[in-house]
Amino acid sequence: MNVVRHRALILALISVLAVAACRAPVTTDQLQGVKVENPTPKPEFTLTDTEGSPYDFAEETEGKVALLYFGYTSCPDICPTHMAQIAEVLEQYPQLEREVEVVFVTVDPERDTPERLRQYLDSFHPSFVGLTGTPEELEAAQRAANVPVATFDGEGPDYTVNHAAYVIAYAPDGLSHSIYPFGTRQAQWNNDLRVLAEMG
Amino acid sequence: MPEINWWCVALDKPWSWQWIAYPGIWVASIAPMVVYTVAVRRHGSVDWRKARFFYAGMIVFWIASDWPLGTLGAGYMASAHMVQFLLYTLGAAPLLMLGTPEWMARGILDRLRLTKAIEWLGGNYLVCALLYNGILMATHAPGTVEVLRRNQLGSAFMDVVWVLAGIVLWLPVISPLGRRVAAPWGRMAYLFVATAVIAIVPASFLTFATTPVYAIYELAPRVTSLSAREDQQLAGIIMKLATIPVVWTTIAVMWFRWARHEEQAEEKAEVTA
Repeated sequence: MNVVRHRALILALISVLAVAACRAPVTTDQLQGVKVENPTPKPEFTLTDTEGSPYDFAEETEGKVALLYFGYTSCPDICPTHMAQIAEVLEQYPQLEREVEVVFVTVDPERDTPERLRQYLDSFHPSFVGLTGTPEELEAAQRAANVPVATFDGEGPDYTVNHAAYVIAYAPDGLSHSIYPFGTRQAQWNNDLRVLAEMG
Repeated sequence: MPEINWWCVALDKPWSWQWIAYPGIWVASIAPMVVYTVAVRRHGSVDWRKARFFYAGMIVFWIASDWPLGTLGAGYMASAHMVQFLLYTLGAAPLLMLGTPEWMARGILDRLRLTKAIEWLGGNYLVCALLYNGILMATHAPGTVEVLRRNQLGSAFMDVVWVLAGIVLWLPVISPLGRRVAAPWGRMAYLFVATAVIAIVPASFLTFATTPVYAIYELAPRVTSLSAREDQQLAGIIMKLATIPVVWTTIAVMWFRWARHEEQAEEKAEVTA
């Protein structure tokens, strides 16, 4: 009897471990990103998209969930990870694609030509919008979005750029309710994009 | 002075094919071979067939632990993590056991006062199956991977635990202590159940999960064109399918040996009659 109990206990322990290992991501009706205490309105700026056309951020993203990110295509880790994470969620849930506009604003216009920017974004998702402009226009856009203005480190062609490493999410109501730092999981994006889409 | 990497851990930088030296792994791979060689020479009769198994086991251990597979598995790709696990449990562990002479195994275990416990374990199939699968589940849980793969000691611990898990798995089949309690068909059934049945749960979860389970691999810079989820699906498929050739080859060998043994026994009985 003791042996049977002993084995049953081990089996129960294994089952618990199995369940723990296989825990499904929890979706809720609450935002899982970093909440913005006082939601700020969408910034007003117009830059140039990868086709060379003017892109009015507030107007073009009206009524949608807008994910605004300031980055650069030579970024080795944070920018590609953010883009890959969002792209994977959108690919998996095509219904979200219609409700979400991802806008990547380069902070490195010297290296990020429109062609390079387009090629870079297409490697994640063809719907991603790439914007560029003059250094002054880009600085003004960063100030309007209330993010730290990017600075440059190093000499020569391999300089690096210090930039805001988070994605700002604007709900269809035109306000930023949350931001997403590096480390945001796909499960969180999956949850929050749905929650944000309903904040009409 | 640059920081020395002793063991593969998750690196917070993009993957590069630039070689990284891990002296801790070299020591852990070479030292047992040196000690083994000295011990068998001192003992007198050297069984080089056995020795080859042992050296092969250590080489598999080294391949699974060192750059590039070790580095990829520690922090970049869930599929590499799974290949490592299978190399340790289905490659290194059985080879090391096949390569260890009984006198050596008894010598080590006697010194550790573990001989009786290991003999008991080798005869208890259910406990071995549960223990192996318990280690499999625990070491593949996202929290465990996240904590252990972030530091060198934890990462080394995980690799060693996987080898030990492999030893537990193979103990009822190829124990160097030479004791086999069940009939060959029992050992064949054990091997199938222990490697294929319970592992279906985590393997299926990895394959069919809608989002990546492991933060460490999800947020790592991509190494190949595989997305984090595709890499995880590949890991699940490897977990499910890669055991098949090793386990079924072993079962086939055991089957043919058993059949041959039975045949010889019958022939002997006929001659005696």
